[in-house]
Amino acid sequence: MTRSFDLSRPVLAAVTALLAVMIVLPVGWLLVVSLTGKDGGITLANFGALFTDPTFVDPLITTLIIACSVSAICCLVAAPLGWLVARTDMPLARTIRTLVMASLVTPPFVGAIAWEMLAAPNSGLLNQLWRIMTGMPSDEALFDIYSLGGLIFVISCYTFPYVFILVANALDRMPGELEDASSMLGAKTWQTARLITVPLALPVLLAGALVAFLQALNLFGSPAILAIPAGFHTLTTRIWSLFQFPPKPELAAAASVPLLVLTVLLLRAQAMALGRRGYAVLGGKYGAPRPIRLGWLRGPAVALALFVLAMPLFLPYAALFNSAFSRVASRIVGPETITLHNVKFTFLELSSTMPALKNTFLLAIASATLGALLALLIAYIVARKAVRGYRVLGFLATAPLAIPGIVLGVGLFLAYTRPPLALYGTLWILLIAFVTIELPAAYQQLGSAFHAVHPELEEAGRMLGATRLRTLADITAPLLRSAVIATWCFIFVATIRELSAAVILFTSETKVLSVLIFDLKESGDVGAIAVLSLTMVAITTVVIAAANRLHGRPQIRPA
Amino acid sequence: MASVELKGLSKHYGAAVAVDDVSLRVEHGQLVCLLGPSGCGKTTTLRLIAGFIEPSAGEIEVGGKVLSSPSRTVPPEGRKMSMIFQSYALWPHMTVAENVAYGLKIRKLDRATIDSKLKAILSTARLEALAERYPGELSGGQQQRVSLARALVVEPETLLLDEPLSNLDANLREEMRFEIRRLHDQYRYTTVYVTHDQAEAMTTADLIAVMNKGKVEQLGPPEEIYARPRSEFVARFIGGSNVLAAKAIDDSRISVAGSVLRTIGRPLVANRPVAVSVRQHEIAIALESPPSGMENHLHGTVTRQVFLGSTRDYTVMLDDATELRVTAPPGQNIAAGQSVWLHLPAEQCRALAEE
Repeated sequence: MTRSFDLSRPVLAAVTALLAVMIVLPVGWLLVVSLTGKDGGITLANFGALFTDPTFVDPLITTLIIACSVSAICCLVAAPLGWLVARTDMPLARTIRTLVMASLVTPPFVGAIAWEMLAAPNSGLLNQLWRIMTGMPSDEALFDIYSLGGLIFVISCYTFPYVFILVANALDRMPGELEDASSMLGAKTWQTARLITVPLALPVLLAGALVAFLQALNLFGSPAILAIPAGFHTLTTRIWSLFQFPPKPELAAAASVPLLVLTVLLLRAQAMALGRRGYAVLGGKYGAPRPIRLGWLRGPAVALALFVLAMPLFLPYAALFNSAFSRVASRIVGPETITLHNVKFTFLELSSTMPALKNTFLLAIASATLGALLALLIAYIVARKAVRGYRVLGFLATAPLAIPGIVLGVGLFLAYTRPPLALYGTLWILLIAFVTIELPAAYQQLGSAFHAVHPELEEAGRMLGATRLRTLADITAPLLRSAVIATWCFIFVATIRELSAAVILFTSETKVLSVLIFDLKESGDVGAIAVLSLTMVAITTVVIAAANRLHGRPQIRPA
Repeated sequence: MASVELKGLSKHYGAAVAVDDVSLRVEHGQLVCLLGPSGCGKTTTLRLIAGFIEPSAGEIEVGGKVLSSPSRTVPPEGRKMSMIFQSYALWPHMTVAENVAYGLKIRKLDRATIDSKLKAILSTARLEALAERYPGELSGGQQQRVSLARALVVEPETLLLDEPLSNLDANLREEMRFEIRRLHDQYRYTTVYVTHDQAEAMTTADLIAVMNKGKVEQLGPPEEIYARPRSEFVARFIGGSNVLAAKAIDDSRISVAGSVLRTIGRPLVANRPVAVSVRQHEIAIALESPPSGMENHLHGTVTRQVFLGSTRDYTVMLDDATELRVTAPPGQNIAAGQSVWLHLPAEQCRALAEE
């Protein structure tokens, strides 16, 4: 643009350097260490060990089985549910849609803990109920959550909402005319659904399957809680176990590489699947689709939907509340046994609660502020093409998407346990991790917000005599305010619940809430775990509600 | 006095040339239209004048001062210009009054002056009742008027308009054309107006610059552009003309479909190909053959005839298969398939510059 405001080069250099430190450094160290032998020379021995040692091969196979199963289950559940909500006259459709979204508020590892309370072989509430109803002996169990099946089930519970949202939104946007045209040619309702609606939704479903696969592949919390007691590992828990004493970071680095490569490939595949969406479900001003009449199936349909929602939502929260307010977690609480003992214990007696809460809030506020500012700066540069080489920034800001949390944890550990920046053991390393992990989503949110602000709105300010900075302050900033607040809240929430990178990078001084809950598992203090989990969910809900309220306020209607 | 002068102005993007050696002088108080199809470089020229982009070569002078050159470009905020954007670019988070007063606040005027100027311009633009509305609550025409008011209230030396009417429906567009011209006559600022609509250019401009492929093809008052197009591109773009491809016989006559046409315009060179334009409504159509040997008469067959109310539109195929469009009075009804004679008056047959 004009020459009078040429901070462009230093700004570009600074931001690029920062992103490089955040992304290139950890990934670089990861690759270097994975290729370094005990003698310090370059070697492929670490990878050799990886593909011959059954303690690596088995987790790899297990992980793939889990990811494939989760992906299949999610599609089988989410596609019909999404269709029922978006395209039929099922009662309570709006409520069910909201509840599915709400189940995403639950951090997956909290869900896994809740399902332990429900379906552990001995103490699980559902198993107790079953024994009381059938009179079975106490060593018999209906469900065993500590199993491959149990793990797949729990991961699916907290993954299918992602697929559901994709499918339901796609079906919402699909022009009704496409179906009407089929009806006009004589197709019956069900024929149209089979021949038109389903094929049009297929690319989105494929993308959803890949999202589910990725989620299951990179999840750490649920497998750590359910697979380790069952005596098996997934890739993420195996990587984590290499950091337990005696640490073997070079093997952890090598084991991270397949996860990184798989993630990159799957993201590419997903982009391709969604890239073809264009002809299918992007519609301008088309008529609203006509809902399909379910007739007598309306009752069964809504019952099915509520049954599905019981799995991630109703049952787990019942179990969490039960454990939080009962003296003995494995007993169902009644009016005379209800107690605040666990709450008092957690907040007043448990010495690690307050430091963890303090660390968590400090990190969440710092990550959200820093992350939102960085994302805002990059989004501005890219959207307004403000400096040469802006594309590099866009790419770097999106790149962490392809780095699983645990892999980033390993990379940051390797990069910052050595000079010049020995940050390990400080909150700084966690801050870097959280900002890096949340940057892509924050950047994408603010990027699309910038695209909604027509460049002519800024140019109009310049023409009337305002400088570029003045224009930013008077026009761009107010228009983006709600988007920035939403992004801030988004990072805040995501930071509070992050476990997989934190679990690699924390030390006893820098424990955060998620790690504390995970740690308490060892001591088996179920009451405190339930109280802390509910606290985390409560904070999350409040922040999201606040963000939603603020988001609706200023009118950003295209003039 | 703020005249605007472009001197050899060029803008390249890599190998692509958006504006190619454009020179143009707009006197103070004149309204110039840059007219041309999309991609002809008119919007790039306007953005160069506004200072949003820097020229690759050439200069822009306003009131005798160089504002743009490859080495130094005054930023948009330092140019004392106003601009009407295609999207209107009204700020959705400000009311009509806040939008309009923004430029005055930037100029740090005192409260009382701002209020009185605001009141005056809102009344001129018939916006008083809408002052506290947000842009999202206005119709297209009202938004357009706010955009005009916001640009004019700062009393710019130069006003730039970028396809300002393209988002309006047909009726409103016609009304706004006269509104823009009326305000221009009232305030007498220098105006550069970009459009692809020739009717818009004709009704508003003092001067029209027809642009094609980054160059100004012809610069002149609307009457001249319409009556005396200098190139085939201008003749075709302005519309309503037939362009005949022919061969020159001598310096003022050509041969078309076996007949001889006398032409005006530039002198011809014998045996060279030449393009000649004739307006559709200057051609007379008749059933009777003219006395033999008469120049400027062509024989053909009516292939199509459409009744348009105030006129009748004929398509006539000449004996060499060239098609001509003829606009005739509605009362003259000749059926398709009839053999006809066309009279193309010599003073209307204009030889165009070679491409």
